[in-house]
Amino acid sequence: MTRGNRILLSCIYWAFVLYVFVPLLLMILMGFKDSKFIGFPIRSWTLDWYTGVFADAEVVSTLTYSVAIAVLSTLISVFVGTWLAVLLEGRRFFGRAAIFGLTILPALVPGIISAIAFRIYARLLGIEPGMGAIVWAHAVHNVPFVALVVMARLSTLPKSQIEAARDLGADPIIAFLRITFPYLIPAILGASIFCLLLSFDDFVRSFFLGGYEPTLPVLIFAKLRSGMSPEINAIATVALVLTAAIGIWAERFTRRANKDAKT
Amino acid sequence: MSNDAAARTGTDTAAGTKPARTFWGGLSVWAPYTALMKLATASPRRQFVILAAFPILWVLTQHLGPMLQMLRVSLTDAYPVAPGVEQHFTLDNYTRFFGERIFWQPFFRTLIFAGVLTFCTLILTYPVAYFLARHVSRKNQMLMLLLLLIPFWVGEIVRTYAIMILLGNTGAVNLVLKWFGLIDRPVPFMYTTFSMGVGIVYLTALYMLLPLYSALEKLPKSYSEAAADLGAGAWTRFRRVTLPLTLEGISSGCTLVFLISTGFYATPVLLGGPSTTVFAETIAGFFHVAGDEWPTGAAFATIMFVTAMLLTGVFQKLMYTLRKGDTK
Repeated sequence: MTRGNRILLSCIYWAFVLYVFVPLLLMILMGFKDSKFIGFPIRSWTLDWYTGVFADAEVVSTLTYSVAIAVLSTLISVFVGTWLAVLLEGRRFFGRAAIFGLTILPALVPGIISAIAFRIYARLLGIEPGMGAIVWAHAVHNVPFVALVVMARLSTLPKSQIEAARDLGADPIIAFLRITFPYLIPAILGASIFCLLLSFDDFVRSFFLGGYEPTLPVLIFAKLRSGMSPEINAIATVALVLTAAIGIWAERFTRRANKDAKT
Repeated sequence: MSNDAAARTGTDTAAGTKPARTFWGGLSVWAPYTALMKLATASPRRQFVILAAFPILWVLTQHLGPMLQMLRVSLTDAYPVAPGVEQHFTLDNYTRFFGERIFWQPFFRTLIFAGVLTFCTLILTYPVAYFLARHVSRKNQMLMLLLLLIPFWVGEIVRTYAIMILLGNTGAVNLVLKWFGLIDRPVPFMYTTFSMGVGIVYLTALYMLLPLYSALEKLPKSYSEAAADLGAGAWTRFRRVTLPLTLEGISSGCTLVFLISTGFYATPVLLGGPSTTVFAETIAGFFHVAGDEWPTGAAFATIMFVTAMLLTGVFQKLMYTLRKGDTK
């Protein structure tokens, strides 16, 4: 490769980094503007919008509501997704391909269609719009991601370990709980954090399945429809910092866990 | 070693004549548990049924169920059914789609829009993925990839809002253009196809970047070097070696981005205008009003889903034959 090519490509990379970071940085900056009007230039600065956000009971209760939904739906997704992975990985049976296809189906359905289908089905199941419906929809939607991550990890588990455990008299359940499950923990934790973020950030399902109480993205959307204000920037920045921090922490955590597993 | 042994004898004496038993050891000889296990593992067939019953039931009722129920509702004339009203089978919801321009126009607009955006995303992210996989040392690769991942953990709504601030009339882009004296009055970027495109590419770029990166990263550098030794120029090497061998990554990246782009609802609502209505907004409209419009909304969602699946299926098949043809 010529030197010129390399320099050109690195310029493209850094331009792309700017493209993904600049909008978010501008949005964060705007939350410190001492004026009601969104727009540049910013002449004076303030922290009032942030103190306002944490004093606002609606925002705080929305935040806890969103976190509760994320945690509950993740617990269900992890349980079902792991079980599906154990069934599908390294096992041959009639209809395995079909079950695998159905497992990843919720991840392939475009957002609006998935929200509509869940809305109709919730009615059939008799789930009222609200927290239960959102938790259920997020849980179903996130199962494929758990299943795929756990399957990838499970495929690297040496079969001899299970066989050794069985030879020493462990029944299938004890062999699973003492050999397979501990081996899967890094994958399960990684998948859980991914599910938490997916649920916390989800808009379309929360919007169509929610009752009167909004989740955080739904609240921001509703406020945006009635006009932009630095208050929204402050709320959005709180959400951004929360998700990005969890994401970075999870990335480091899973990397370290993988390293430990290899040695 | 000797310390260890001493400790072990110590515990043995402390426990008396009975050796200390672990939790697992205790469980494996606990009579009710062993009886249950004996029953469950009586035959390989029964063992499999116990393992498979719950997950298979789950995917059938929770993954497939919603789609089938949507299809069923789309073929009825009333849903939810009011008491005393009879529900009839009908195809009216489907014929309605073709009858009115305000229905099929957003549909085709969405498909074309998603197709064009998928292509733009591919062109935009391929050089980035190529640079990361080929020109960066292994250690820096992960760091530089992580740098790009951070913004993608931020939710759809927050990132859409960030684009609104970037492109607004008093936004950053207009400010910069004014500074350079290129414009006198702000350019109305917002509520156009352009702002919607920028927003959606911003949301989907990672789903293209990651498959491309993993395809490029798997490809040994020696292939390109061999081609260079045989006298191929940079462009020929790219066109004849790198590109054909990363078709798999391109194929999965494009499929993902296309499917995701067709499903956006909030981003077009916030960034688009009246002339850029996408099909997601049309579908959503039927669910905001009274319940009797649900069957039509379900029918439209079904049309969208089937079309998107067919298009990506044909696309993947095409890429597959292209790949096979090249390796022959």
